[in-house]
Amino acid sequence: MDRRTALRLLSAGAAVTVGTDFEAWGRALHRGLGRGAPLRVLDPHQNATVVALCNTILPATDTPGAVAAQVNEFIDLLLADWYDAADRDRFLAGLGGLDGRARAAFGKDLVDGTAADRTNLLTALDDEAARWNASPETTRGPQPFYRQIKWLTLFGYYTSEIGGEQEQHYQIVPGRYVPCAPADTTIGPE
Amino acid sequence: MPQTWDAIVIGSGMTGGWAAKELTEAGLNTLVLEAGRMVTAADYVEHVPPWAVRFRGLDDRRARAADQPIQRECYACDEWSSKFFVNDHENPYTTPADKPFLFLRGRQVGGRSIMWGRQVYRWSDLDFEANLKDGVAVDWPIRYADIAPWYDHVERFIGVSGEKLGLPQLPDGQFLPPMALNCGETLVRDAIAKQWPGERVVTVGRCAILTENHNGRAACHYCGYCERGCITRSYFSSINATLPVAQATGRMTLRPHSVVHSLIYDRGRRRISGVRVIDGETKHALEFRGRVVFLCASTLESARILLNSATPEFPTGLANSSGELGHNLMDHIMGGGANGKIDAPADRNPVGRRPNGIYLPRFRNLQGGPKSPFLRGYAYQGGAGREGWERGTDLPGFGADWKRALRDPGPWHFGFYGFGECLPNHQNYVEIDKDTKDAWGIPVLRIHCTYGDNEWALMKDASIAAAEMLAAAGASDITPFIDHNPPGKAIHEMGTARMGRDPKTSVLNAHNQAHDIPNLFVTDGACMASSANQNPSITYMALTARACDYAVGAMKRREI
Repeated sequence: MDRRTALRLLSAGAAVTVGTDFEAWGRALHRGLGRGAPLRVLDPHQNATVVALCNTILPATDTPGAVAAQVNEFIDLLLADWYDAADRDRFLAGLGGLDGRARAAFGKDLVDGTAADRTNLLTALDDEAARWNASPETTRGPQPFYRQIKWLTLFGYYTSEIGGEQEQHYQIVPGRYVPCAPADTTIGPE
Repeated sequence: MPQTWDAIVIGSGMTGGWAAKELTEAGLNTLVLEAGRMVTAADYVEHVPPWAVRFRGLDDRRARAADQPIQRECYACDEWSSKFFVNDHENPYTTPADKPFLFLRGRQVGGRSIMWGRQVYRWSDLDFEANLKDGVAVDWPIRYADIAPWYDHVERFIGVSGEKLGLPQLPDGQFLPPMALNCGETLVRDAIAKQWPGERVVTVGRCAILTENHNGRAACHYCGYCERGCITRSYFSSINATLPVAQATGRMTLRPHSVVHSLIYDRGRRRISGVRVIDGETKHALEFRGRVVFLCASTLESARILLNSATPEFPTGLANSSGELGHNLMDHIMGGGANGKIDAPADRNPVGRRPNGIYLPRFRNLQGGPKSPFLRGYAYQGGAGREGWERGTDLPGFGADWKRALRDPGPWHFGFYGFGECLPNHQNYVEIDKDTKDAWGIPVLRIHCTYGDNEWALMKDASIAAAEMLAAAGASDITPFIDHNPPGKAIHEMGTARMGRDPKTSVLNAHNQAHDIPNLFVTDGACMASSANQNPSITYMALTARACDYAVGAMKRREI
């Protein structure tokens, strides 16, 4: 259904029959925002590092992963137009800090290690983030950079079209409310 | 000779839409003045998914910080719906530094009825008699019997889904079938019913959302984002329901971009003769003449218009011989509650996004019940749900297996969020700030409003009682809380031109008619003499329809 059709239905006062057409209508709006745009903040090495992290945190499985969902481009958009300068600089410093950890762990930048190298390093970082999360809010310092990029990867993936439609089977128009459905019913969370 | 309208309605939102419908259906040629722009279905974005907006729902924080630093405090002022909220620079107001107040507003055809919370609860005589019994402020000039038929009238038209409970403090109405509670909510409902039988009742929210087709509008399709508009018109707003009916009579002229400056008082006839308007686009001054004026601009805007309409006869504001105009501002205090994890079935999860939650009606200080160490009471909204992918940040692990685990819903949670009554207090008031003008050159409000001890006592009790009930339901990780929200945050502001029996202590009579000026009616939240704890819109709508009926009769009798 296009907007004109929707408007006609509305102005006619008709009781609109809800169908999957609405999903196409929603998808068509604003399509293409930000897609394929050149990166504005991340330099090629930083971008490769973000891509490697995204790929390790949310890899392609039976569904595409975070890289296919262009999470790196979304993170670049946030760095350019959402974070303020201080937060952007903190993010970039944190990203550089991971190379320091990588060199200490396996003697290379994060992107130059093997997949196993990266998995080992992220296992250690994930443990550190869990310890930070379990410590009292009043005494712990700022969150580790790894936790920030883990959240950004999650958010960028699950709010993408791939993350929404292929991973979560997100239905824009469920058409019904079933209060106690079997938990494996394919529909995305709110 | 310029045209004289039978009626001029100022505002096109929750109550303006009702005034337009009722007055045009009664045969009056009616001019509806709306300060903002026209809104059409093309503005509705409820089916635009996160990936189709630039920041995926994180919002354009720089734009919001620049243009809507106050409006963004409302959850609905987000990447989809911020266009339905005003620009704070164009629409300033002031407060004393130690009395923050959030003035959250929408200026467009439909007003805030586009983004409202859609919860509708009748008042009872527990509420209408409260001021008299407690010796607080002034007695309401009406009782439940006066408004009950108008609640019926409004509910039949707008469509309200809900469950009948037979509770004296929360009268049942003309309900469409209720939405369902999910299995986390039935678990909590049943545990509470066992521990506090007959006293504390969990029900699904009574809401102005259709559960079946109704009056030419379609049943809800559970997309979940009513505040972005609704192409199937399944929830009530004035643009979805009342204004189209008024339009269909052929007797409504709707004029957007009409910023009302003040009312024109004819001292010879002691009547309002018309309305001064600044055209929102050209900023030219205009005048419109009418036989009767319905002020439906919202609690604070209606007060502002009257205060800006002072004359030699009414030096402190039009229709203010009582001195109460602008005073007794209330907003529900909200945010005393608790949440916790509940042991609901792990193999069950709701399908669809129900745009509604649970309701637990007031149970403190009921007729014949025990007395609490505070006046009045509170009710809860809230609900149960399961964690989604967001839990991944602190779910240990990463990679393929972890990604697979995040497909399953996470732990069940339940939250109670309290909404408490705010007592009317003369010291909570608005006045004109002569030094500050809006983008149309109209002096703005200076708002003085704080919550008192009784309001905070309600929220403290709401927090403790919520934790108690979660414990009774076997919850774990129970976290009681009290959000320290400034007044205004609930967007239930009311009371600046209260109804009352005595012209010396109230602005409006029992028919929302100004004691001082018989052809002036104020039917938005300004009219309220107390706040109860129920979401107020249904009461505003019922009072508006009732006042229209009275005004039409008075016009026929040549009284006005």
